[in-house]
Amino acid sequence: MLLLIQNARIASEDNDDLTPADVLVENGTITQIGQGVEAPAGAKVIDALGKILMPAMFDTHIHMREPGQEAKETIKSGTEAAINGGVTGVVLMPNTAPAIDSAAMVRMIYDIAERDARIPVYTSGCITKGREGKELAGIDGMLNLGVKMLTDDGDAVPDLLLLKHAMEYASEFDCFFASHCEVLELSGPRALNEGEVSHRLGIPGTPACSEEICMDRDIRLAHATGARLHIQHVSSKIGMETIRWWKQMGAKVTAEVSPHHLLFRDEDIGDYNTHYKMNPPLRTAEDNKALLEGLKEGVFDIIATDHAPHRAFEKSQDFVTAPNGITGLETALVSLYHYFVKKGEFGWGLVVNRYSAQPRRMMGLDAVPISEGGKADFLLFDPEGETTFNKDFMQSKSQNTPFLDKTLDGSIDLVVLGDEVLLER
Amino acid sequence: MSKRLTESDIAQAVSQMVNQILERNASKEFVLVGIRSRGDEVAERIRSALETAGMNVPMGVLDISLYRDDLAHLKDNPKLQGSNISFTVDGAHIILVDDVLFTGRTVRAAIDALTDYGRPTKVELAVLIDRGHRELPFAPDYVGVDLQTQRMDYIDVKLQGSDGEDSVVVIENKV
Amino acid sequence: MAVISLLVLVVGPVYTPLSSSSPPMTRKDLLDIESLSREEIELLLDQAGPFKDLFTRSVKKVPALKGKSVLTLFYEPSTRTLSSFEVAAKRLSADVTNFDVPHSSVVKGETIKDTIDTLQSMRTDYIIVRNKMPGLPQMIARETKACVINAGDGAHAHPTQALLDGFTLREVFPELMGKKILIVGDILHSRVARSTSTLMRKLGVEVAWLGPGSLVPKHGPKDIKRFTNYDEALRWAPDCVYLLRVQMERQAVQYFPSLREYTKLYGVTDERFKQLEAQGTYIMHPGPVNRGVELCDAVMEYNRCLINQQVENGIATRMAALYWLKPNQQK
Repeated sequence: MLLLIQNARIASEDNDDLTPADVLVENGTITQIGQGVEAPAGAKVIDALGKILMPAMFDTHIHMREPGQEAKETIKSGTEAAINGGVTGVVLMPNTAPAIDSAAMVRMIYDIAERDARIPVYTSGCITKGREGKELAGIDGMLNLGVKMLTDDGDAVPDLLLLKHAMEYASEFDCFFASHCEVLELSGPRALNEGEVSHRLGIPGTPACSEEICMDRDIRLAHATGARLHIQHVSSKIGMETIRWWKQMGAKVTAEVSPHHLLFRDEDIGDYNTHYKMNPPLRTAEDNKALLEGLKEGVFDIIATDHAPHRAFEKSQDFVTAPNGITGLETALVSLYHYFVKKGEFGWGLVVNRYSAQPRRMMGLDAVPISEGGKADFLLFDPEGETTFNKDFMQSKSQNTPFLDKTLDGSIDLVVLGDEVLLER
Repeated sequence: MSKRLTESDIAQAVSQMVNQILERNASKEFVLVGIRSRGDEVAERIRSALETAGMNVPMGVLDISLYRDDLAHLKDNPKLQGSNISFTVDGAHIILVDDVLFTGRTVRAAIDALTDYGRPTKVELAVLIDRGHRELPFAPDYVGVDLQTQRMDYIDVKLQGSDGEDSVVVIENKV
Repeated sequence: MAVISLLVLVVGPVYTPLSSSSPPMTRKDLLDIESLSREEIELLLDQAGPFKDLFTRSVKKVPALKGKSVLTLFYEPSTRTLSSFEVAAKRLSADVTNFDVPHSSVVKGETIKDTIDTLQSMRTDYIIVRNKMPGLPQMIARETKACVINAGDGAHAHPTQALLDGFTLREVFPELMGKKILIVGDILHSRVARSTSTLMRKLGVEVAWLGPGSLVPKHGPKDIKRFTNYDEALRWAPDCVYLLRVQMERQAVQYFPSLREYTKLYGVTDERFKQLEAQGTYIMHPGPVNRGVELCDAVMEYNRCLINQQVENGIATRMAALYWLKPNQQK
């Protein structure tokens, strides 16, 4: 296939400047970047005037619910949602039913992905069998199949000695740990920040220190054992500061922040709106501000959505009973543009770095800059366009997002991976 | 043609009622019960006139809101002001007093309300204005003035205590 | 969408001066105190008076809700509140049905939404719900045409308790503005403390909290005073001390060392009672009381103990609430 994209402005992770150029793609490879590139015979030509061409995104924190809860999401629907949001690679979390805790389960995920997905699907593997925190999972078998991330996401590993042994054992191999941070005794089963809102709603809240204590604990342990550690979905100011401090101490730690923790706060829950219920919970305006600062400064290496689909009836239960989590794959990039890039909080360079290049590197993959000789793995973003996140637009089986039926500025008009146009509108 | 009653018309109507009541009950024991709102003020005027004539008559006030038959159809329920019946209703001869007698529904509600206080031996009805158009079989025993009205007319009664002036205006065909 | 507004929601001061003319507003539901205006609260308290007057008549019943159906849906056992609502509804001539729900929890498999659909199919006019899940009455209210009264949802709200408390205190202090109430005990888990504090503040009453540090929320409204010991609190000279029930069953995870220690620090002991009596302080309690824990026996005989009035006023206030609400008119 021959594809010529004319008059685009190219974004890269190196800086926030956009470079005007035409880009020619031949059989999945970018062969020419420059001004006034002639369209070869039979080429598909796209006029991208005013639009931004950038490396496609990569999301390292995805719940695809398959196997076990296919009514919420499947690898097929979830990867289509990813494409819809400009994401061409995902890392699945292992809290399926059964959990992804063995080579056999990893093989099964890869088989389903090969059959159903148009983008690469990677999976993490459990630290402990069934994520029960009791026995170590089949780590070697999973790593042999290419698993890089070990996590009991959804829960922390409560047994510190077991986690220490896991870290000592696995740090000898090419892999890293990822921590969902929470001290269960302090938080219990309800995802709501402890503060004025939890008082008003009459629901005992989870204090930020529940997350911060666990985070600090896990980093200390990783630092002591020499394991690489990634901290998932940081939600609080002191959490951000904890990571900053440990990075200064030279710990091998990376961290992610999710768009919802940057954008929303507990007040948005209003009258028990379960579309703002997730774990870790939304905290305060002060935390939003600190997280944004941490993102700009590089305390947060990556952005990841924690895409967590749930069925409408589950989310229409009362706040305590409704499950935790919101979807994010389809809304992340557009919301980052609408709330931050457009307002000048940060530029496209940061978006490409934190949501495309760094996540890939963390997974041991190469970044996909738009460069001659590189593989075509990019998207075209229209800053003048707009996107309405209604049921027709969304490809995910679930629409549990505060953006449901909202319209934001910016639209993803084209997603190309190799020789295939995955999305065009 | 719009009909009006002036302050003096109203005073005359009240004294007409007082005379009728005295005529028939000169040596009898009875009590007055005014229906909120404005019926209580008419009752008070009657009580005061009777007092001047040398008769001390106990008086109560009845709020019939909870007994209305149209509560289910109202957008807002009427604001309760409460009743004040300090005498024994059992065995009493009661003269119910209201400002305007129209469909008779208020009287029905008032009688129901009264009988929840006890069993009076006799209940009579005194009204300042009878405007006709009954929907229930009630007839007044004492009437201040009869006014010819159309079914859709609205009678705007103002009394000193509630409204700062005494006047009655018939507004035709109020929609 | 209130996503990125940088305005911090300012709550309070809650007291708002009365506007000169306010039409009596009608609502479909009574879910919490927070959403009520001061005018609405005063209207309800004003209306409760005439209902209380009815209790001295030989016939205590009025036909205001004749032909209407009231469904009580109590997921938590509560003989007192349930009976109070039942008596109130029956005195208004409504038909009352108790929807028998297993007290453990909602039956597995049937979601709350399914239960609400079932209720909707019964075409009931009023639903009175008590549940341990905060916000559940709001959900039911959104999904049904019936009027919903929250009879207590977890630690969130108990609006009719707050109204009866306000009514009771107003009987002894016709002008509540500037009066002081000290609420003592487990504030953290108490919907009563939340709703009553909110109502009192809306009526211009100063509110203070006293209780074990582990049971007094750190994040409550800023205009509520916190006391850490009784002596200090009594020097503040409250007009009323409101005692909360110690929930013995909540001691699965300990919040304080022992009942003995609780009583010593936060109970109305004989000694403290003498002081309260000397100061002429009124005492309230939502019931049922733990004698010897929150209060000593002598309190129950005290002429300024309002606990029994609270019970009687509960019926009048709930009648006023039922009379005030109107089901959705359309269809």
